[in-house]
Amino acid sequence: MEKTQVGNSTLWKVTFAAFITLFMLVIIFPFFWILVTSFKPTSAIFGDGAYSIYSGSLVLDHFKTVIFEKGIPHSVVNSFVVATSTMLYVVGIAILAAYAISRFNFIGKNILLGIILAISMFPQMIVVGPIYNLFTQLGLTNSYFVALPYSTITLPSAVWIMVTHFNKIPMALEESAKIDGATPFQTLSKVIFPLAAPGVFTTAIITFISAWNEYLLTITLNTNKEYHTVPVAVSFLRDQFSILWGQVSAATIVVTIPTLIMVLLFQKQIVSGLISGAVKE
Amino acid sequence: MVSKRITFREFLFILPILAIISVFSIWPILDSVKYTVFDYRLNDQQKSKMFLGDRFNTSAFNENTKYINFYLKKDMTLVEDTTQKQEFERIMAYVGEMISNYPEQSENIKLSASESSAMKEFIVTVKNDVTHLYEQNKGAGLKNAEGIQMVIDELNKCLIGSNFIGPTYYGQIFTDLRFWIALKNTIIFTIFSVSIEFAAGLGLAMIMSKAMKGIGAIRTISLIPWAIPTAVSALMWSYMYDGGSGIIAKIAADIGLVASPENLLLTSTGAMICAIIADIWKTTPYMALLLLGGLQTIDAGLYESSQIDGAGKIRTFLSITLPLLKPSILVALLFRTLDAFRVHDLIAVLTGGGPGGSTETLSIYAYKVMFGQTNFGYGSVIVMIMFVCVAAIATLFVKVLGADLMSKN
Repeated sequence: MEKTQVGNSTLWKVTFAAFITLFMLVIIFPFFWILVTSFKPTSAIFGDGAYSIYSGSLVLDHFKTVIFEKGIPHSVVNSFVVATSTMLYVVGIAILAAYAISRFNFIGKNILLGIILAISMFPQMIVVGPIYNLFTQLGLTNSYFVALPYSTITLPSAVWIMVTHFNKIPMALEESAKIDGATPFQTLSKVIFPLAAPGVFTTAIITFISAWNEYLLTITLNTNKEYHTVPVAVSFLRDQFSILWGQVSAATIVVTIPTLIMVLLFQKQIVSGLISGAVKE
Repeated sequence: MVSKRITFREFLFILPILAIISVFSIWPILDSVKYTVFDYRLNDQQKSKMFLGDRFNTSAFNENTKYINFYLKKDMTLVEDTTQKQEFERIMAYVGEMISNYPEQSENIKLSASESSAMKEFIVTVKNDVTHLYEQNKGAGLKNAEGIQMVIDELNKCLIGSNFIGPTYYGQIFTDLRFWIALKNTIIFTIFSVSIEFAAGLGLAMIMSKAMKGIGAIRTISLIPWAIPTAVSALMWSYMYDGGSGIIAKIAADIGLVASPENLLLTSTGAMICAIIADIWKTTPYMALLLLGGLQTIDAGLYESSQIDGAGKIRTFLSITLPLLKPSILVALLFRTLDAFRVHDLIAVLTGGGPGGSTETLSIYAYKVMFGQTNFGYGSVIVMIMFVCVAAIATLFVKVLGADLMSKN
């Protein structure tokens, strides 16, 4: 009896490990294959060489082209500007709103929550037409102002994550601050904010990644290449008569590096942000 | 605590969010609703804005009426008869009066209903009078008989009717085959991708919850597909699916799934399966992480006692794991279903809706109508239908299945 239990659990462990390994391989394979392709000479990307890992020579041509000719680094800069500005104002607005939702009891709070929730659900396409017309009229197309309508996709989850974090902080702290004569704003900035800092950090990262990955609004509002962000610039590499897979691969590798660094550094915060709201504690 | 009226200081906390969502979320939705009842096309000058009433192009009106008087004046010199000359002058004065009523303006002006009918009457009167006059003086060798008719007819174009069409497009969409195909594609994509992602994600979450070693590494790797832009991952997959150099297309052809590598993306079923696989790859790890978060909140003591009670693994899963995980499952499923239903970037980059519209989802169809054909009215109707579907999905999850989104607040 004892023996079969042990045997059983070893078998389970091996099966688990096998599954996990397989899963990791499936996730990594596309990146691995893109990496392999990015170093292949163009002649080896088409024909039989296309399916082998090593074609006999490694070249840096594709990287040189996408970095020096196709303006991919410029699109990384654009993405950085747009994502950072979105992150700054969205996090600021979300902190204030989430604090009010978490701490104050006011008429219409549920309506506000309902609206925020509804915005996170409706098709993003619904705002694209009117915002395109608005931006055309105001002359804001082809500018970094595209960060403003990003609020539609980033603000609801930012508020949600912040509310979850504020709710974890005990009310007693503010009550004593109040007794000491602090205003609500002082309470937020001096007492609550330091405690909520991990939540703010999580919100900032999730907002940054969402803004970094946005495609639809940028391709519609910023048609000028000068203002293309990473997703749009990369998608335009393909939009040519012949598809240059070597360049596409090299560009993909280049633009994945920033994301990779973020994930490696902030893995814990990202996961905590993703599951707050989705997981009841 | 009882809800109370918000104080001014408290209101300042929510003022920024109210301002930004009013401008960038709520106003655009209302504006979109307005688009749906207009024949609103950016590429057609007469329809490039939404007009409820008639409008009037004063500059074209001035140009054409001045031509009428110019022709009349020239032809009058050829007429000898005094009464006929007086008739020429009467019409010229009549036209001249109208010109002074509507001086040239750079933008089209709005006309009230009475002004609009007066203008229509004016055009008819001028046409009748001029036709009659030229009939009378046929013998005089008038040179501009044809020209004057042309400029009078041009006057009708100065009056621009309203492009308000009411619910016409809503009626039209029900007979639009392309819409039904797009709806079908969207539903197929949503059902297959979400159910496979959920099954695989749940399995992975269970395995990950058992893994003691390397959980950090597993989580990090799982996050990468979620964290990279969809447009970039779609491009990666389109390379692997490519008929000429794609490794997946090659493997699919080698094991006999498709006749030749090119067929993978060129057949309707193949393209749809490719899109679903790319979505599963990107989202299953994310789903697994969400469910893992839910699993970790389940008290380990419950599992111990169920083991002591002699419950098997399947029994434990069904009577402990699933019920306790239900809230997390519902929330994750709801948001994944909505995301899949709204899919845009993946399809736009991977197939563009092709081949032959077989992967065209509602979002792609709406975008093509709005920005390809610049028909904002009809495109907005498609988006409205999406909006209704999304609301129905959310209601189904919240009311019927009991997804709890707001309990903590």
